[in-house]
Amino acid sequence: MTRPTTAVGAIRAAEGAGAAEGAGAAEAAGAAEAAGAAGAAEVVGAWREPATARRRVDLPRLGRFLLHRPGLVLAVIVVVLVVLAAFWPALYTSRDPLLGVPARRFEGPSGQHWFGTDELGRDVFARVVHGAALSLKATIIAVAVAFVIGGGLGLVAGFVGRWVEDVIMRVVDVLLSIPGLFMSLALVTALGYGTVKVAIAVGIASVASFARVMRAEVLKVRQATYVEAARSIGARWYSVLGRHVLPNAMGSVLVLATLDFGVSVLAVSALSFLGYGAAPPAPEWGTLISSGRNYLANAWWLTTLPGLTVVATVLSTNRIARALDGEWATQR
Amino acid sequence: MNRSRQFAPARWAVAVAALAVGSTLLSACGSDGSSADGGPASAAARPGNTLTFAVGSDVGCVDPQQVGSNDSVYSTRQIVDSLTDQDPDTGKIVPWLAQSWEISADAKAFTFHLKPGVTFSDGTPLTAQVVKDNFEAIPKLGALAQLGAGYLGGYAGGKVIDDQTIEIDFQQSNAQFLQATSTFSLGIVSAASVQKTPQERCGDGVIGSGPFVLSKYVPSQSISLRKRTGYAWGSSLFAKSGDAYLDALEFKVVPEAGVRTSSLQSGQVDAIGAVAQADEAALEGSGAQLQARANPGVPFGLSFNNAKAPFTDPNVRKAIGLAINRQQIVDTVFPTGTKPATSILSHTTPSYVDLSASLAFDKAKAGSLLDAAGWRLGADGIRRKDGAPLSLTITWFANAATNQPALELVQQQLKAVGVQVELKQLQIAQITQILTGGDFDVLWGNLTRADPDILRSQYSTKGLNTYKIPATELDTVLAQQAAEPDATKRAALVERAQRLVVDNAYVTPVVELETELGVGKNVHDLKFEASTRVQLHDTWKS
Amino acid sequence: MWRYVLRRLVQAVVVLWAAYTVTFLVLDLLPGDPVSTLAGAGADSQGIDPAQIARLKHQYGFDQPVLVRYFHYLTKALRGDFGVSVSTNRPVSSVMLDALPPTLALTGLGLAIGIAFGGAIALLATYTNQRWLRQALLSLPSLGVSVPGFWVGLMLVQLFSFRIRLFPAFGNDGLRGLILPAVTLAVLPGAMIAQILAKSLLTALAEPYAQTAQAKGAGRARVHLRHALRNAVLPALTITGVLTGQLMANAVVIETVFSRNGLGRITAAAVTAQDIPVVQGVVVFGAFVFITVNLVIDLVYPLLDPRIAVGSGGRGPSRRRSGTVDTPAGGGALTTPAVEPAAGSAL
Repeated sequence: MTRPTTAVGAIRAAEGAGAAEGAGAAEAAGAAEAAGAAGAAEVVGAWREPATARRRVDLPRLGRFLLHRPGLVLAVIVVVLVVLAAFWPALYTSRDPLLGVPARRFEGPSGQHWFGTDELGRDVFARVVHGAALSLKATIIAVAVAFVIGGGLGLVAGFVGRWVEDVIMRVVDVLLSIPGLFMSLALVTALGYGTVKVAIAVGIASVASFARVMRAEVLKVRQATYVEAARSIGARWYSVLGRHVLPNAMGSVLVLATLDFGVSVLAVSALSFLGYGAAPPAPEWGTLISSGRNYLANAWWLTTLPGLTVVATVLSTNRIARALDGEWATQR
Repeated sequence: MNRSRQFAPARWAVAVAALAVGSTLLSACGSDGSSADGGPASAAARPGNTLTFAVGSDVGCVDPQQVGSNDSVYSTRQIVDSLTDQDPDTGKIVPWLAQSWEISADAKAFTFHLKPGVTFSDGTPLTAQVVKDNFEAIPKLGALAQLGAGYLGGYAGGKVIDDQTIEIDFQQSNAQFLQATSTFSLGIVSAASVQKTPQERCGDGVIGSGPFVLSKYVPSQSISLRKRTGYAWGSSLFAKSGDAYLDALEFKVVPEAGVRTSSLQSGQVDAIGAVAQADEAALEGSGAQLQARANPGVPFGLSFNNAKAPFTDPNVRKAIGLAINRQQIVDTVFPTGTKPATSILSHTTPSYVDLSASLAFDKAKAGSLLDAAGWRLGADGIRRKDGAPLSLTITWFANAATNQPALELVQQQLKAVGVQVELKQLQIAQITQILTGGDFDVLWGNLTRADPDILRSQYSTKGLNTYKIPATELDTVLAQQAAEPDATKRAALVERAQRLVVDNAYVTPVVELETELGVGKNVHDLKFEASTRVQLHDTWKS
Repeated sequence: MWRYVLRRLVQAVVVLWAAYTVTFLVLDLLPGDPVSTLAGAGADSQGIDPAQIARLKHQYGFDQPVLVRYFHYLTKALRGDFGVSVSTNRPVSSVMLDALPPTLALTGLGLAIGIAFGGAIALLATYTNQRWLRQALLSLPSLGVSVPGFWVGLMLVQLFSFRIRLFPAFGNDGLRGLILPAVTLAVLPGAMIAQILAKSLLTALAEPYAQTAQAKGAGRARVHLRHALRNAVLPALTITGVLTGQLMANAVVIETVFSRNGLGRITAAAVTAQDIPVVQGVVVFGAFVFITVNLVIDLVYPLLDPRIAVGSGGRGPSRRRSGTVDTPAGGGALTTPAVEPAAGSAL
């Protein structure tokens, strides 16, 4: 549903809360909280610490890792297929997504039309394939907006500290108190309709999560010994930021970005389902499902199959995010 | 068909509103008659029950004087009575709130004698003063009430002769006014409702004297009406005297055609509006009745902004008309029985002439016209002239489920001759802005009206001239037909006007509007009134 | 203790005020103003006359500078007056109040179904010894957070309204009409609760006291329910608080799918009509519900979990700091298996 962003965050919050309790800290506000968070992080997995040491790809290990996880392999395949569809739709179909044969409308799925045909005899599979470009574009914009703005805010908050941090984090708190979809709807009301506008609205609704994660990671890294050491030997702030803090903090944020990818696919499709996305006949996924609603009674494939495509995409990115986050690190 | 006259000095306003509504506005009649009733007449009609009617949209207003969209008219029509009624079969104007009337020889003065004893649902009586107040308030209602305002164009004043007698005067002949008094747009509301602001009337509804009373309105969700007890002044067309049969009416907004269909099949609702072609077979199979009726007026079509390049070039406009395969659009998208447009008036409009020869599909000719106009096919399949692509944007409003697929087909068909089309959907609220501002390439819409004077309101440069048509002989012809009292002479003028519009391709008519309702087996006597909307006073459920 | 409660209350109010401000700023970005949109350009001849437009603009404050407008609206909002809906001309508060009951019924039932199923899945998955069953159950939540809610709704309609005519496809008619939308709405909270609960249950079962209890001969079921569940339920409670805001927002989509009356459908209609007062009212109301529910959970949390002591110095429980939830990962969260408890190996 529409906006798992905060929900995903929420899970983490709950887990983080649990972890903090476990740590038993009745910490003070501010830095103590960050320390607690960092502590909690270590409990679960300190794998990312000096990240630079892990750059080398261990192929046999990767092979073993994947072999034990057929689901993950499948997820990667799905994502690769979707990305290919977005950039090279001609690999899948030579049919025109906008041009149909009216006399062959409402044909069910068959060898010739894998996903059937729609109300104007257009090939639904071709529409889903070409729709991947639109949906993916919107999703990438959404994630990028959240990543850049949220990550930037978190970075500044964590790195600069003091009152800047307080102000930014209070704003983030406020953003978090507005349910994501409501925030997106308010932005759509203000910005208007269209794929890009919807993408921006979705991205902004996720800014707060990125800011929080980035800040927490930056704080964690900042206090690490090797960073302290770099600073004590007189390294400039930008060099500390660029060489130590950013690369190490980035890992978590990238995991969040992967997660947010699935979340954004759902959010974008929900908004275009509500009619705020691409104008017809553009085959954006949510729009496809939405326009199939008129024919629920006589053409089930118009809603079912594009929907399954969305589900497969989101499931896959979530599975990959999970692998990136914990499994790979903890697997020995 | 009937005809009707509605008329009115049509002001541009009418045009505006009308297009806005896309699907039909007023109208008159249908082709085959009328009363679609539901069941064998042998079963005895009985009072009681609630009729649930699923419609596809809600314009956000429950004031009959301010709505024009079919889906909203179905419900709001039940709240008010009109001075007159119109027989859907013969087109004859018959008494309703007015028991009789006189019209001056020059058709400038109309005197109505009101029925005694009529009260509004707030208990106040119907008087000549209330009628006068209504007619004077309608033109001031603003953007949404332009249908009624159009009928009252040239309004010179009302004279209250006595409590039950009112004379309405016009500055010029207005022969169509009598029929206009039978429409919902000139339905009479109480003195208290007249006082309210247009917004209050939209949101809270109005007090009428009709057989049903508004009990609850939830915008874009539902409109609930209950029976008015003690109703004793029904139209002379009503079969039953006194109260309506049904206790209550529930109009539910269900945007998806498929859900409406399934709900009718499962009995969750008793009637549905805007049946989709794809669902016809399933509905018939489940025993529901389909009732269809063609709407007169201007068919759905593409109206060019004639002042904007490349539409200033008649060859481009003509080529676009030739490139459209109307039959394919009708067969693919519209309900069975719908006819492709064969003139700028639909075939059920009085004085319609068949101009199908000028509106045939001829792709090759379209191509050669465009070639001649200097638009050459490029490698990407799009025509170019001086480097600029031949591209146009069709602006449309989502007030009928058929609009989008129809336009997507138009898009495909034009692409086939090298014309690139973009579709731009706007919200209904933006329509006045578009029509008065002229910020469009091509507009998609229709206008249901049962009098050819609609041509004047749409295409005379003396009015709003939304389509920026140049001043030509057309203006003169349109003015003459409005003033011509002789029916035969007027028909000749109307024919001339149709030819002028079609030959110059100021607009490209595409498809006529056919209203199709699905009605459950147990619903009886659900009748189309003269404008193809429903009158539910006589309807009953078994 | 009371100082703490008071402090939390003040914090909640401040956040709510800030949420109002953010919403106001976002919606004020809108170019033009709704009055002109509504009146169209009809002003030039026969639409609404210019004086009336001016009056409307004045009524909505669009002739005032932003700051003046802001304080004007804020003062009114403090009294519960969110202005008048531009498209329906009714007070926003009464529009929302009318629409609230069906939405409350929907979200309430949705949450209840979500808790019931989520809880059942988590309990069963952690209790069973069957590896395949555990894996199957634990993969359900991953699926649940990956499906678009509107699509689930359409599939249910397809199946239960069109094929088997068991439930109505739309509308507000009684409990039968509520089932399908509530089930649809329950998918997300159910999945999230199942995830959190399963994870905390496994953690709790691994704790020494649970092991001890089992060693002492307490039955598995007893250990599971009496000991582990009691400890595991707190994180689930937290997430439930977070989910309330989410549920209200998802109602926008679900009510649209099922053509149900309610706050969500009003919101969708308001966005379409650019009815800013209504959109603003709904968004602020969403924030209000979210903040209130979480405040309540914060306040009862110490009562449920004695391990969290409320500091006498006026400090709150450790788990959160401000009026809002410490959501997205105060840090540690991220490194835990991301969204789902890893089906299979991670558990």
